[in-house]
Amino acid sequence: MRYARFIIVILALSLVASVLLAGQVHVRWGGRSVQVPRTADGRLELLPVLHLLGADAGFSHSAGTWGVVLGDHQVQFTPGSRWVLMDGELKKLDEAPVSTPSGVAASERFLEQAILEPFGFHLEHEPGGLRIAEGAAYLSPILVVPVAADFGSTTTVVLTLGRKERVEVEDRDGAVVVHFPEAEPQLDESRRVASARITSIGVHGRDLVIRLSEGAGLLGSHVLDDPPRVSLDLGPKARPAPASASPPQLRATVHPIVLDPGHGGGDTGARSPSGLEEKTLVLAIARRVARILRGRGFPTRLTREGDTGRALADRTAFANRLEARVFVSLHANASRFSSARGAETYYMSLKDEATDEHAAATARLENASGERSGGHDGLDLILWQMAQAEVLNESSRLALAIQRRLNGLEGVPDRGVKQAPFVVLTGATMPAVLVEVGFLSNPTEARRLATAEYQEQLATAIADGIVAFLKHQ
Amino acid sequence: MRARVVLLVLLGAAAAVLLLWALLGPTSRVPQSGPEPAPLPTPTPAPKRQAVLLYPGSDGLLHPEIVPLSLPDEQENRVRVLVSRLLQPSPAGRPPVAPYPAMLTDVFVREGKIAYVDFTAPENPLAGCGNEVPFVYAVVDTILLNCPDLRAVQLLFGDREVETLTGHLDLSGPLPLNKRLIAPS
Repeated sequence: MRYARFIIVILALSLVASVLLAGQVHVRWGGRSVQVPRTADGRLELLPVLHLLGADAGFSHSAGTWGVVLGDHQVQFTPGSRWVLMDGELKKLDEAPVSTPSGVAASERFLEQAILEPFGFHLEHEPGGLRIAEGAAYLSPILVVPVAADFGSTTTVVLTLGRKERVEVEDRDGAVVVHFPEAEPQLDESRRVASARITSIGVHGRDLVIRLSEGAGLLGSHVLDDPPRVSLDLGPKARPAPASASPPQLRATVHPIVLDPGHGGGDTGARSPSGLEEKTLVLAIARRVARILRGRGFPTRLTREGDTGRALADRTAFANRLEARVFVSLHANASRFSSARGAETYYMSLKDEATDEHAAATARLENASGERSGGHDGLDLILWQMAQAEVLNESSRLALAIQRRLNGLEGVPDRGVKQAPFVVLTGATMPAVLVEVGFLSNPTEARRLATAEYQEQLATAIADGIVAFLKHQ
Repeated sequence: MRARVVLLVLLGAAAAVLLLWALLGPTSRVPQSGPEPAPLPTPTPAPKRQAVLLYPGSDGLLHPEIVPLSLPDEQENRVRVLVSRLLQPSPAGRPPVAPYPAMLTDVFVREGKIAYVDFTAPENPLAGCGNEVPFVYAVVDTILLNCPDLRAVQLLFGDREVETLTGHLDLSGPLPLNKRLIAPS
């Protein structure tokens, strides 16, 4: 009887303990460990983990971001945003962290991508919790079988993967790098790749590097399924614009203006009642804008030169890689209101832009984090502010400069400058706008948009706006 | 002997009473008089309030209309009432906010701050920033103006998170209030 009572007491205590610890996970690093609360949706509170690592973490109300410093490394991130600044490099992660009453919480994936990997750690599951281990996580090898074929002016390279795996394709100077964030590529050495545009293919860590011949460059890339493969289009690298016969009014820099003709390939965009497609119209206008700008001494690049599709994020990344002076995405509009007409220009607004209520909440968080960490004025996140607030201010000026010129065209009602979070503008590190030149859904305006004369007027107005902005930059 | 007879008679009477009770069952029992049971509470309809609904116009801006609506206090039901109303023509004759025959399939609120609104996905691909931006922000801004405790709204389509609807707006996360798209009154 005495033993039975003892067992009941033990069971009751276990039950109470399990209820209390249900929302927590045991995280271990070195010889120390902490109980880390989990939110209802499974996210981990980050601050206990950061304190365990000895990292200095603080929230900046002025930037609306968290900053984490450990040794020589800095990471900055914003609740609600997938963009993270890692040692000055802006990266888009798979998931976003969220604000919590006690700080900030994120998924294990985010913790690993944003915090642990930059600081040289990785996360391992172990019975009863998680363990932070030093060094890179184990990467499972993946077989890559390369095939290449030359088709006159272009070369297609197909990399067939042993399984479906996330990849990132990057066009570096003289090479195309296929990065495997979560796997270690192993090249099938039995295949010889013969192409006039490829000098070698090799593996360096998580990168598969395709070195290109002189004058060759990456035109486009696609990740495909069944079987999992990466298709790369190579071709002649775009040549620099010929020098203008007349001296330019402004000194041109080596950094180009990047124009982005929207849509392309299978993505036709809007369509007029007579069948004019947005992708065709905006490419024609973009070519005209480019010709005008080059004629004035401004190197200009297009994100697509022909009727090819390109991922939205890749268009901005293209401009970032070229360190473009401005990024202008060109579109034609459509509305179910057939009377809708006119041009409008958008620039980016942050999805996690502070509302009044949000500002108050972040102020409370800032105060709380200041109390916890003793404040971190040195982490006012200058880089982050440059990447967000300053670029937004510049983008609004660029949008206004272009919209004013478009308003000057005869018969074009002013729909104004507007602000919204556009995918194609996300992550741009330079002033970036999206111009809607007119409505293809309006039969009258669509007929006008189809004429070369009106396209030239629009192109001149857009080019004038860009140059006016650069002149006063 | 006499005592045994009396006992038998008593037992027989008891058996008869028991048989009668079993045959007639509890329904035939006379209800005991007592206090009247309290009437069941009837649900009180949510009070009618003046809701600000935003409907897109041909100028691409969102036009506020004041509409008396029964707005529940509970957040998810309140969002459901608001969005359902937006999917109908406005009192002033503006068309429903969705540029396709969308239906509301689900609403849920996380952490009391973020509302998730799930619509049926469009059957055919939509095109045009002029269709996407006013639709999305008519829903987002209407909810946030009428639910002050909420901080942001994410739109889902066909029970899925989408990156974008027509290739313009980033819909992969919750959106805060965007007052710049509301037409000046």
